[in-house]
Amino acid sequence: MRGWRLLVVGLLLAGCERDPTEPRAGFAGLGADAEGFPPLASEAALAFPEDHGPHPGTRLEWWYLTANLRGPDGAPLGIQWTLFRRALRPPTAPTSGAWAADQLWMAHVAVSRGATHRVAERFARGKVGEATLERHQAGVTAAPFRAWLDDWHLESRVAEGTGDALDRLEVSAEAGRGEAAFGYRLALDAQGPLVRHGKPAFGEGSAEAAGPIYLSQPFYRVTGTVTLEGERLAVSGRAWLDREWGNRLMAPRHRGWDWFSLHLASGHKLMVYHLRGETASDTTLFGTWIAADGETRTLDAEALSLMPLTTRRVAGRELPTRWRLTLPDRGLDLTVAARHPNRWMATSVPYWEGAVTVRDHEGGLPRGEGYLEMTGY
Amino acid sequence: MSPLGVALATLLSHYRRHPGQLALLLLGLWVAGALWSGVQAINASARDSYARAEALFDADLDRLTPADSRPLDHEDFVTLRRAGLPVSPIVEGEVTAAGGERLTVIGIDPLTLPGDSALASPGAESGLEAFLTPPWRTRLAPETLAALGLSRQAAGGATPRLAGGRRLPPLAPSAALPPATLVMDIAVATQLLGRGDGLSRLVVPAGALAAAPPGYDLERAEQRLAPGELTASFHLSLTAMALLALIVGLFIVQAALGLALEQRLSLLRTLRALGVPGRTLIGLLALELALLGLVGALAGIASGVGLARALLPDVAATLSSLYGAEVGRTLQLPWHYWLGGLGVTLGGLFLAGSGVLWRAARLPVLGLGQAQAWRAGYQRQLGRQALAGAASALLALGLWAWLATRPPGEGLVAAFGLVAALLLAGALWLPPLLAAGLAGLGRWMHRRPLVQWALADLQLQLPRLALAMMALLIALSANLGVGSMVGGFRLTFLDWLDQRLVADLYLRPTPARFDEIDAWLAGRPEVAERLATASGETTLLAIGDAETPRQPVALFGITPGDTLKPGWPLKATLAGREAAWRALTGGAAFVNEQLAIARGIVPGDRLTLAAPDGGERLRVVAIYPDYGNPQGEVLLATPQLRHRFQAASGSLGIVLADGEAARPLASALRTRFDLDTTALRDQRQVKRVATDIFERTFAITRALNALTLAVAALALLASLLALARERRRQLAPLWALGVPRGRLVAVQLAQLGMAALATGLLALPLGLAVSACLVGSINVAAFGWRLPLHVFPGGMLLTLATALGAALLAGGLPSLALWRTPPRALLAEEAP
Repeated sequence: MRGWRLLVVGLLLAGCERDPTEPRAGFAGLGADAEGFPPLASEAALAFPEDHGPHPGTRLEWWYLTANLRGPDGAPLGIQWTLFRRALRPPTAPTSGAWAADQLWMAHVAVSRGATHRVAERFARGKVGEATLERHQAGVTAAPFRAWLDDWHLESRVAEGTGDALDRLEVSAEAGRGEAAFGYRLALDAQGPLVRHGKPAFGEGSAEAAGPIYLSQPFYRVTGTVTLEGERLAVSGRAWLDREWGNRLMAPRHRGWDWFSLHLASGHKLMVYHLRGETASDTTLFGTWIAADGETRTLDAEALSLMPLTTRRVAGRELPTRWRLTLPDRGLDLTVAARHPNRWMATSVPYWEGAVTVRDHEGGLPRGEGYLEMTGY
Repeated sequence: MSPLGVALATLLSHYRRHPGQLALLLLGLWVAGALWSGVQAINASARDSYARAEALFDADLDRLTPADSRPLDHEDFVTLRRAGLPVSPIVEGEVTAAGGERLTVIGIDPLTLPGDSALASPGAESGLEAFLTPPWRTRLAPETLAALGLSRQAAGGATPRLAGGRRLPPLAPSAALPPATLVMDIAVATQLLGRGDGLSRLVVPAGALAAAPPGYDLERAEQRLAPGELTASFHLSLTAMALLALIVGLFIVQAALGLALEQRLSLLRTLRALGVPGRTLIGLLALELALLGLVGALAGIASGVGLARALLPDVAATLSSLYGAEVGRTLQLPWHYWLGGLGVTLGGLFLAGSGVLWRAARLPVLGLGQAQAWRAGYQRQLGRQALAGAASALLALGLWAWLATRPPGEGLVAAFGLVAALLLAGALWLPPLLAAGLAGLGRWMHRRPLVQWALADLQLQLPRLALAMMALLIALSANLGVGSMVGGFRLTFLDWLDQRLVADLYLRPTPARFDEIDAWLAGRPEVAERLATASGETTLLAIGDAETPRQPVALFGITPGDTLKPGWPLKATLAGREAAWRALTGGAAFVNEQLAIARGIVPGDRLTLAAPDGGERLRVVAIYPDYGNPQGEVLLATPQLRHRFQAASGSLGIVLADGEAARPLASALRTRFDLDTTALRDQRQVKRVATDIFERTFAITRALNALTLAVAALALLASLLALARERRRQLAPLWALGVPRGRLVAVQLAQLGMAALATGLLALPLGLAVSACLVGSINVAAFGWRLPLHVFPGGMLLTLATALGAALLAGGLPSLALWRTPPRALLAEEAP
């Protein structure tokens, strides 16, 4: 039954608009030109709470939460909650009608434990910058902060004017039916400030090539409940929220990226972005070293090295599930390994997203945990 | 050449000497195959359309509707989504193409439409973007392009204009969509349909909700009738007709095969005497049958496809006007169609040929055919036939009695069974009746030797003629029955049209301008009466105090004024016409016959209908005929309907004062309100459109009927032609005894004419019985309306004339040959 429904929708949507010979720029077109979108100011000053909300003048944006949790038995659990915004066209005169759309919203929800990996995806059309935004299927408001698609939401628990809206959040999502139902309701409390990452240099110089604006709140402590395989589990752990917006998230030469967000046992946080090109010279590697007080140090390719150690076959692709990450200046030589290779997100834009462990490369002493995202494989 | 090959070649050589028999055999197979496979092609094609319609987005999805029938809008959608319910919006409506064809517009939200990820197919992302954003896209089946006046080549990206002048979003053909349907994003569909934020319905994946959310009703997918179920009765009728044609065609085959065997009896004996085993001989005959069958069936199927191609537009028109089901006007044939057609034709052939093979197998090697011995056998056969006919008649009687106890509208298959049993009984009784009649006449005419001879001779011919006569009887009766039904329907329909279309002009203003135009008309002296209509949709919740399965019904409002009341047809009333009209004005309701029959509603019942303020209770005071409407309908006075159900205004009928012409008012209206041609029509135009639809509806019935009759006449002709040579041999002694050739020819024609007349006479009551079944049971079950039974003496005369004409034509050709044959040749033929 579902097969032919999909076929109908597929036939319906498989338009002849795309020239099949035209290569897609980067992963999922994220490196494509953003014609008609105003270029992003290279050193834009940020203002909150406005910048917690959507930036309809840019093509792409996301609110991206990952959490490393543990259940009552101490077994590790991972969750993901993501809301993507993509502008369907540059902001122009607003179109009339409740159904008129200029934004495409996409949300991904995942819960994983051991070999189990549950994923759900939903879509919505939207219009931003409208007074009646609350009456839409999906959207984000800055004050009070609330990001939602259907009943999946991420919202602030901070009373207005008493601190940054992202300091305390609630995230909730439920998906699937019957035995396959899964979901979570979690409270997030930040124990450090919001941090802004250094501008990734795509190396093209022009304003158009300016990379996205990238913020993180890596200091969340989490408590709450997770539903999985018919069980309701009390959980606790750490979470990391990413905010990113821009017209292109990588340069056209990039094929995809590997992204690490690590909670180190020392209290430091480490973000590493590895934008892969066809050749070594096309590859961009950068990161951010974040101290427990939120002080950041941008890391460039000199200060970092990253090497895949082993690959596993996942969903028909070879994916590096163990990496060696070294920061010579900090005296760190780490192995970052997936807790389980089965973390493939078989969504409309497919990628790998899962929890990792961090250990000393020599000796194997545990050094922390975190999340790894691999795209474009 | 192997001995087997030699034997086969010898058997087949018969057809080289008698190419006419070969042609006859192939003709029978071809005709049977063509009609059968033609109708099956139509059915297969229609089924394909239904499948596509059912596959279209929401046919197997559950639906949510507001419990109080208020309109749904964007806010319902958002509220339910944000409560976590997986609903998706659908807006559906009609637009008129520039050429006047009405097309269904379906607006969807591909982002929430249930099914796996809408974005999952490769390359879909940019297609999705084009679908979702201006100028959007119109997805449609390639066969819909013709309605928009476009060729397939010019279609991609074209933006054809609609009747109102608006343009469609760029076209993107997609073969998976059902015909006459335009699918587009909901944002542009609501604009095109002028709906604002309004929705037609919300859909959810089947079974996703355990119960309806508060304030909504949940309609499960399995509770709805699929278009295929509604139209099943129509396809069943088509299949029944095709089966009739197949049987009649196989009669021809049977006659030709019998003849080919008879004439090869001595050849078979010779082959047996030469040492060809009996079993081999049967095998060879069967092989011959298979070869002929393959050629005939393939030719039949090929022509069947051509036939279907010619009939399909009419079938599509029928289905669309009777059931509102859209069927493509080009053939879509699945592979199994071809195998099925071949299988049925070949199967029928072997059934028809099995008797011949059986007789060949029991052939005594040395025995000589004896007419008298044959006759004794035939008497026994007649007895058995009469018994079988009686059984068949009993079955018909039983079915009739059973149907009489059922509520009207049920037992479609049983009703078809009744017709089949009737026809079979008639056909089986025909030869015994003819034989008995001949025997009686023979005793009565014992003083006139030539007449007596002619009667006795006809009795001898009967076994050969019987099958063709039976085929003729079935075809004649079916023809008369269907013809009476269609003719009666036509009369009733035209009458009904006259009674309902009483206004001189019909105006269809947009709801926004309705009151303005109405007020303007009120001030015109030439306007005697304005007949405002209104229409809406609701759900039938309960009849009396009994809750019923929720059924969508149409609401229609009329203005019960002096013009409308006297003529408007009513089938049953609670307390007379006058009282019914008074009650209607006061807020009571009429229901159409379809709804009354389907739900067993009688005048006096109280219906509960969903209304904006909850349930509206209405008393039913009358039932009216509503031919051609696929839906149940509740009729109210227009002001009542607009007030109680907040229904939209519909058309405005304008009755002119005596002696006023329509034209000046029409042009005044056009210039004053800038109306386009479709918004204002005069009564004649409306009637012509309605009559056109009716004629097209029954064009297919008439065509099939005529074809079947033609095949039956052909069967008779074939049988007689096959007999002709032999007959001459039997006539020669009579000539030698001094009967002139002219008398002989006259005798021959009289024999045939009498047999045909008897057949035709028997066809009259049989045809009437078939007509009564069609009108009383099958129509009610298939369409939901009952028609008065009309008898057409002209049609009956035509039936008799057809029977006589076919027989005389068939007898004439051999007689002409006899007339021209020199007597010596006749005598020479007598010598073995």
